[in-house]
Amino acid sequence: MKAVILAAGEGLRCQPLTLTRSKVMLPVANKPILEHIINALASCGIKEIIMVVGYKKERIMDYFLDGIDLGVNITYIEQKGQLGTAHAVKQVSSLVDCEFIVLNGDNIIESSTISDILNGRSGDVTLLTVTREYAEGYGIVTSTDKRVSKIEEKPKEDISHMVNTGIYIFNPDVFNEIDFTTVSQTGEYAITDTIQKMIDSGKTVNMVHSESTWIDAVHSWDLLRANAYLLERHEHFMNKGTIEDGAVVRGNVSIGSNTIIRSGSYIIGPAIIGKNCGIGPNTVILPSTTIGDNCTVEPSVQIKNSIIMRDVRIGSFSYISNSIIGAHNSIGSNFITETGDNISIEINGIIHTASKLGTVIGDGNIIKHRVLTEPGKMIATGCTISSGVIIRKSIPENSLVI
Amino acid sequence: MCGIVGYIGNGEASDIIINSLKKLEYRGYDSAGIALIDGDNGSTAIYKKEGEISNLESILPPITSRIGIGHTRWATHGKPTTKNAHPHSSGNISLVHNGIIENYMELKEELVSEGYEFSSDTDTEVLAHLVKKHYTGDLYTALRTALGYVHGSYALAVLSKDHPDELIAARKDSPLIIGLGDNENFIASDIPAILEYTKRVIYLDNFELVSVKQDSIQVFDLEGNHKKKEEHIIEWSPEAAEKAGYSHFMLKEIHEQTNSIHETMLGRLHELEGDVIFDELGLSRAQISQIQRIEIIACGTSYNAGLLGKYLFEKLAGIHTDVDTASEFRYSSPVVTPGTLVMAITQSGETADTLAAVHEATYYECKTLAITNVVGSTISRDASSTIYTRAGPEIGVAATKSFTSQLVVLYLLAILFARVRYTMDADKAQQLQSELRKIPGHVRHILENERSIHKCALKFVKTNDYFFIGRNINYPIALEGALKLKEISYIHAEGYAAGELKHGPLALITKNVPVVAIAPQGHTYDKILSNIKEVKARDASVIAIADMDDTEISKYVDAVLTIPKTDEMLSPILSSIVVQLLAYYTALEKKCSIDKPRNLAKSVTVE
Repeated sequence: MKAVILAAGEGLRCQPLTLTRSKVMLPVANKPILEHIINALASCGIKEIIMVVGYKKERIMDYFLDGIDLGVNITYIEQKGQLGTAHAVKQVSSLVDCEFIVLNGDNIIESSTISDILNGRSGDVTLLTVTREYAEGYGIVTSTDKRVSKIEEKPKEDISHMVNTGIYIFNPDVFNEIDFTTVSQTGEYAITDTIQKMIDSGKTVNMVHSESTWIDAVHSWDLLRANAYLLERHEHFMNKGTIEDGAVVRGNVSIGSNTIIRSGSYIIGPAIIGKNCGIGPNTVILPSTTIGDNCTVEPSVQIKNSIIMRDVRIGSFSYISNSIIGAHNSIGSNFITETGDNISIEINGIIHTASKLGTVIGDGNIIKHRVLTEPGKMIATGCTISSGVIIRKSIPENSLVI
Repeated sequence: MCGIVGYIGNGEASDIIINSLKKLEYRGYDSAGIALIDGDNGSTAIYKKEGEISNLESILPPITSRIGIGHTRWATHGKPTTKNAHPHSSGNISLVHNGIIENYMELKEELVSEGYEFSSDTDTEVLAHLVKKHYTGDLYTALRTALGYVHGSYALAVLSKDHPDELIAARKDSPLIIGLGDNENFIASDIPAILEYTKRVIYLDNFELVSVKQDSIQVFDLEGNHKKKEEHIIEWSPEAAEKAGYSHFMLKEIHEQTNSIHETMLGRLHELEGDVIFDELGLSRAQISQIQRIEIIACGTSYNAGLLGKYLFEKLAGIHTDVDTASEFRYSSPVVTPGTLVMAITQSGETADTLAAVHEATYYECKTLAITNVVGSTISRDASSTIYTRAGPEIGVAATKSFTSQLVVLYLLAILFARVRYTMDADKAQQLQSELRKIPGHVRHILENERSIHKCALKFVKTNDYFFIGRNINYPIALEGALKLKEISYIHAEGYAAGELKHGPLALITKNVPVVAIAPQGHTYDKILSNIKEVKARDASVIAIADMDDTEISKYVDAVLTIPKTDEMLSPILSSIVVQLLAYYTALEKKCSIDKPRNLAKSVTVE
């Protein structure tokens, strides 16, 4: 069976991290979300992968290449214009001629998530559901036994806890159905509309309910929880770096090759530190922290429950907690992230709530010394923040803050 | 990245294996080998040879065989000699391997104490002996038992003359696939190797072993349980796969620079100390202090890198440096003394002119240092020491990632020389190193904004001439920009030191001729601004490559292509990415053959 991964979307709600990469490339446990998906597929024997790409496709292609290093074979198809999931699926019509599985590239799953739907497939379309206590914002599935009667996108009132994961098994007939799908109110061709139309015309659409991992990181800060979740379950911790005498490493900690943990540092797992990093001396890294490749963490820094992406420098005496630092940031000494609970954050005019958050910083900023970020206040990308600044509101792209 | 192939069937094994190995050439290699079971007398025939696959072919006699394994080796450490080439054997068992055996030292000690003799320096030979040691009549069980002792990564194919009807393969963390033919089967590192023979493949997973016979495939896990595997049909062309979604190798390789630059620096920077360490440099601190002059020899793009090296060695380390094109150096009367360090820069390590020049230099009893991308290439044997740029295999004829990696090596060498000769303090060295570590991120930023470069290229696609100007450390990039454009877009282009314009070339500047001015902030910034005004006064169209925070320059030029702010000394690396992309998109719009430009070859092995 071939897999079609929809990876063309932008992920507006994960800004500022998605200003420079698509959501599927956001790292969790030191791997892009997409890599977790490919690993799950590969371990279920699905090795032929068609990736529908669009927004920032080069990032995806540069990372995965032809997929042979992950033991799969990736074909890239470009979706020009983001016209919805049905339009995305339609792009692959010339490449599949039998049953195929479709997944979103931005949901974190494990291999049993895939095997659940593979083992339970039946009818013309199979879709995978999970239960969510708070189902607002999802596509909700109602059914009789396992036969789906309705998929409703983001209903106003509570009708069911059964959430559509966007993981489907189709046969090539679906391409014909897509041709007759009408544009939704949001101006997109949605695959759920296609499926609803198939239900209405009497086709059998069955659901498989799964209790395996399916994490939808809606907002950038959801990545922190996903990261902690995966680190707890991570199995292959390995130290390929150098730990100097006088440094303490406790619990499950992965350290990449050519990384050095200098004397006096204290690292408590679960944590992953990438390759080619310099940590310390006297740096403290506490649980649920992931640090990407080529990072420098200067002396006497404390980091906890955070994601630091690749090519980042963090100046001495900084304190980073419950935060996400994008790639290629240069941060001076005494950088402090304040953490708050139940913070309201406005993204593109809509208020969202983060249960606990420090800050989220996009790629490629220069942050000079003694900068403090108030809870939930973000820095976009390409900004320069002068020394001594307190960030009291979110900073848009390419700003100079004095 | 090594390549593995294996064949069993009714075809001519040696032809099929050699052909398949050639399809893996894109992975890069420095030696090749093959093991066959002779169909006439049942003996094992092993041939291996350093260098090109054609070298192997030239020593390979015609052998009738139905089963064999082959290997291309890309040495990352250890020498690429015939001795170290695969297959490796122990008794009747031969095998090929891609990967790294991490605990091979302890395994080797144990095996030596048990009387096994080693004939190579590789980690792979340990595997051969281990399989032999556990062999009791069943090849599959022997390999399975042996792998239990091994830590590391492997893709393996094993052959024994006692089992002329079976190949055994195994995989962990290195790629391996099985190709299913009609009464014949294949083993390979990657799909392109076998695509000519079959489109049906099985992907092996980690910790899987497979017994490959002419008419059957059986896959097992390490516990010996039988595993059912799905067959996949490949429907794409092999070349598309190698390019990973990009339309050209050149663009793929330009994009790879975010990683290749890191690879070049890996383990060589020691920021806290402000030191650079090159294990392979082969020059003591005393010898570095005593260098009187550096003579850099190179051709083409490597020459441009060398020219930047001249500025670096002179400015940072205070060593008088000359740069010569190799073909000129040979036939001039070189003034080389034992105090001269001769530095040869060549991507392939096979450039005939550079090789001959290095050879010439050795007659003067001076130290020779090669900077090359290909481990074990000819130059690494001729020069007294070799530094590898680690940019990875480069397929596009126009050099891109190998150029920036050469630059990084030169920066590191200049910092090292400057530190040893006390012309740079630790603080400056630390600052440069910390800025160097940021370069890959800056490169990523430029790639994010590729579109502005594409647009700019579009504007001047129809022009007949292009000029590139720069001063000081930016001058080599002006030359490189012109060279790239010439090579792939066939537009006549010239690079000039900006101050030279009024001594002649200014006569060529007419209305709307594009002039690319490489003008990041720095001590020659004001000077280049006046050069820009000079050409603007002749109505030229000026494209400036400038710092992102430069608000001044846009007043004087027609288009600005920005690069992130970095140390003045390091900006040439970033400017070179911009000129590469400018050339690429110009050629793309002109529909030129980008990866294989007319009349040019990747590695110029003739004089």
